[in-house]
Amino acid sequence: MIEQLILLLIVFVPVVGAFLLPALGMLSTKLRNVFALLLVVFPLAGAIFAALPILSGSAPYSLKLDFSLGIPGFHLSFGLLADGLAVFMAIVSTLVGAIIVFYSWGYISHYEKQNEYYLMVVLFIGSMMGIVFSTNLIFLYLFWEISAIACWRLIGFFRKKHHVLRADKAFLVTVFGALVMLIGFIMVYAQTGTFDLTEMKGTLLPNLAVLLILFGIFSKSATLPFHTWLPDAGVAPSPVTSLLHAAVLVKIGVYVFARLFIVNFHADVIWSTIVPVVAAVSALVAAGAALVETDLKRIIAYSTVSQIGFIFLGLATGNRLALAGGLLYILMHGIAKGGLFLCAGIVEQNAKSKNITELGGLAAAMPVTAVTFIICSFSVMGIPPLGGFWSKYMVIGGAVSAGQPWIALVFIAGAILTILYLLRAFTSVFLGQVKIADVREGSPVMLISVVILAALSVLAGIFINFPSDFVNTIISQIGVVQ
Amino acid sequence: MSDWMLLLPVIAPAVLAGIIFLVPKRLDLVKSTIALVGTTLNLIFSIFAFSIAMSGSLVFTMAWGGFGIDLSLKLYQFSGFIMLAVSGFAFLIALYSMSFMRKKESQKPYYAYLLLTVSLVTGAVLANNLIVMLFFWEALLVTLFGMIMTGGKKAFPTAVKALVISGVADLCLMLGVGLTVYLAGSSSMDQIQHLNTDALGAFAFIMIMIGAIAKAGSMPFHSWIPDAAVDAPLPFMAFLPASLEKLLGIYLLARVSLDFYTITPGSWLSTIMMTIGVVTIIFAVLMALIQKDYKRLLSYHAISQVGYMILGIGTALPIGIVGGLFHMINHAMYKSGLFLTAGSVERAAGTTDLKQLGGLGARMPVTFICFIITAAAISGVPPFNGFYSKELVFEAARESGMIFYIVALLGAFFTAASFLKLGHAAFLGKRSENNAGVKESKLPMTIPMVVIAAGCLLFGVYNQLPLQNLIQPILGDAMHGHDFAGFLPHNWLLAGISVGVLLFALLNHLFGVKRTGSGLGAVDHIHHAPGLHTMYNLAEKRYFDPYDIGLVLVKGISLVLYRIDRGIDWVYEVLAVKTADGISRGIRMAHTGNQSLYILWSFVGVILIAILMVSKM
Repeated sequence: MIEQLILLLIVFVPVVGAFLLPALGMLSTKLRNVFALLLVVFPLAGAIFAALPILSGSAPYSLKLDFSLGIPGFHLSFGLLADGLAVFMAIVSTLVGAIIVFYSWGYISHYEKQNEYYLMVVLFIGSMMGIVFSTNLIFLYLFWEISAIACWRLIGFFRKKHHVLRADKAFLVTVFGALVMLIGFIMVYAQTGTFDLTEMKGTLLPNLAVLLILFGIFSKSATLPFHTWLPDAGVAPSPVTSLLHAAVLVKIGVYVFARLFIVNFHADVIWSTIVPVVAAVSALVAAGAALVETDLKRIIAYSTVSQIGFIFLGLATGNRLALAGGLLYILMHGIAKGGLFLCAGIVEQNAKSKNITELGGLAAAMPVTAVTFIICSFSVMGIPPLGGFWSKYMVIGGAVSAGQPWIALVFIAGAILTILYLLRAFTSVFLGQVKIADVREGSPVMLISVVILAALSVLAGIFINFPSDFVNTIISQIGVVQ
Repeated sequence: MSDWMLLLPVIAPAVLAGIIFLVPKRLDLVKSTIALVGTTLNLIFSIFAFSIAMSGSLVFTMAWGGFGIDLSLKLYQFSGFIMLAVSGFAFLIALYSMSFMRKKESQKPYYAYLLLTVSLVTGAVLANNLIVMLFFWEALLVTLFGMIMTGGKKAFPTAVKALVISGVADLCLMLGVGLTVYLAGSSSMDQIQHLNTDALGAFAFIMIMIGAIAKAGSMPFHSWIPDAAVDAPLPFMAFLPASLEKLLGIYLLARVSLDFYTITPGSWLSTIMMTIGVVTIIFAVLMALIQKDYKRLLSYHAISQVGYMILGIGTALPIGIVGGLFHMINHAMYKSGLFLTAGSVERAAGTTDLKQLGGLGARMPVTFICFIITAAAISGVPPFNGFYSKELVFEAARESGMIFYIVALLGAFFTAASFLKLGHAAFLGKRSENNAGVKESKLPMTIPMVVIAAGCLLFGVYNQLPLQNLIQPILGDAMHGHDFAGFLPHNWLLAGISVGVLLFALLNHLFGVKRTGSGLGAVDHIHHAPGLHTMYNLAEKRYFDPYDIGLVLVKGISLVLYRIDRGIDWVYEVLAVKTADGISRGIRMAHTGNQSLYILWSFVGVILIAILMVSKM
């Protein structure tokens, strides 16, 4: 009973609590800020709590409510399940999310409409919890669209004309993808007679349904050819871009891919070649674009598109090592990419520019930001002792063991480009000639946030045994045999 | 010794490095002392560990990354030997830096990275799991980048260059490791033995080989080294490119071609390696020949000499492998010794530009003598260590193909010529006015030089010590009872030819000096020879820098990829918008407000429905 309550609260505390924030904000901004953070820390604590039975090997928390809608022959159930995969994703999202909310205390205090900001951010994270724990495709879709709405408001947060247009673009692309995915879900319903994932476990999906669902997943996870809204979304406030890239939005697609195609359904073997190939093209094209772009946030955004390719490679390849790499990649990329965007936010706010040709030599003025930026970059590049190394190796090693050395070679090329574009961004922003005078270091709150993320990257690399053990447990639960 | 103690040389220096980062800015002496004490303890430990490794092996294993990635360390003959060499050089460099780095900026990162490097190199050498080795190996990118960065603003582009080049090679290594683990079915290095070099195996071998030779500084992964020689703090050069990176790179090259895979003499993989070897020897030494800066000249030799090691190991003959490994340790000694003399000169005269140096020999006798010994060693003058290892490589090369032998011999000629020029220009001739008050360096700097120079002599005269105790046991049964040690040359004919080449280099030097009247101009007749002259000009303008060429290529490729990306975006930004616009415009135009038209539509609609219903019945 208590377990089911915890599950419900993990999802509904942030979703419902978010709407109290504007009211609180009218009373006191401090109170609202603290409450917003608590609304994100709560599901984090809940997810950690829900991880305990998984570690000890007992049954995961689950909950199921059946209700009839008065339509004969159609019944709907609402279910939540905290299996290893869900708990892992929830911890990653809320951990990075909590740091981002904390960072926002400093960042967003300079701007108007803070009430709306916190409402949308917490709602966003709450909808992520809904997606992560839902066992029913309809509710999964529902939370999916809530996240799209929150994302739409947040991207266009500054309300300039072209910001709003780009928010619309993001909304249209992701919702279009989601609607196509919904058709896929209905096909699944037609085949199995239920929307409940636990009831249809092990179903072999027809290729058309897989294709339709992948539409939604790729559009949400900004994979080629549905990716261009993500770099455009860089007009959002930096903590929001950080949230989109590291904690919530693009990870939704990746997570749902894992949930549907690894845990739940069987798909034709052909997809374990198609998806890596799409991912490889995506990784390469986006990396090339990142080398040409001159806007710091767009560079990092393309980097996300590119790295998501690595995650899909890991998840789709189908053996244990690659899958572990893909899951660890979600964690390591979340931490490092979150850090990169938050650093970019400090640069953007204090140097009043995000064009790398106008910036330069900032390392002297903002040493902490520079060091955290390079540490997070190293992690994304896959350089030890940072966490990114392990996930990158496992993905590459896994792909190789699955008999796909040529795809692995393409990803190695992508990884080389990663080194180049991140170093290019770092050198032109932080090294070289000082081009903007009197730049100050970020505020303590913002610095603490980025330092925590950089430190987490280091710790995750050195103490890889903890995340790796957990991922191993997840994979054993899923029962990957291939 | 318990097995867990193998963790000590990996963890302890890293912890000390962390402590150095915490020491306040002003207390520079504390930082250098921590580094010195740390490397001293590390050396003592390594001697102790080596004494154990001589008689047997020791393995420590601990669960770490999961999925077969155990933190497994193995101390045995080979790893113990490399570890001993690493800690020896680390100690000497730390001692040297006490004096050299005094009153210089950024000592904190310098000493911290120095200790961190020791920790990581030791970890990579002791690692008994291929993926764990990769972890330590790649982590060296961080310290490489950091250490070059301590050279200040001018060194930043070089640091980036070094990171990119090494990073690319390390990613190749990552792929090679992944493939090898897959082929062997295990990541434990003990269990990866003599894999097949079929198509996939050969690909994996080449990928690992790229990682290994790039670490050692071979062409085409070399071009950051000459830049770093000028920009980075000098002890860095003696520490990483001259010694530790060579030890590590050649260690892995030996492991991969002896243990993991089987490379047979005459196979195409063997030919590839030998070709890389001779290409590196000749082109790097030609570049070294014309340098006008002490440090830059040495750095090109640091590249060129790797060629001999790769050539030796690439022959896949026992004599070549022994020669290559012997050359590795010899090179680490004389090259770091040479760099230390360069530092001594730089510290005393304030420059390493050969045009501004000259006549230092009388004022800096210790440095001069150490230079003579180490320069003789690198040139292959008997009875110094370089002579013996080069002879072994020569013999192996001659057995494998005359062309390899001839190029290697040519390399020896140019090496000798460039060191005659260097020594003449820096230490002999007239003292320039700038150098009036030059004095010999202090003890912390001279001791390491003298120790290394003495080592060069010892490893030559009494080469049984390194060959019989350190190197030949590594090959084990593959030696077939051979013993390549001995004061007297193994092959009198080849030794005679080598000495002849040296004499020819001396004649060439005398000719050049006579022609131009200065030591610095001793090779001008080669520099300005027709044909060579144009090549040199192009090379000096960096037309042959693989890094620059690579960057241009990547830039082109990424522009194409960017265009593809923009093309996709066009679909959303223009095509989708225009299509939606066009469709809605068309529909809007149909709504004319004409009632009879609407009635017609309805009528048509009713008929269609009727047809549909009828057909369903």
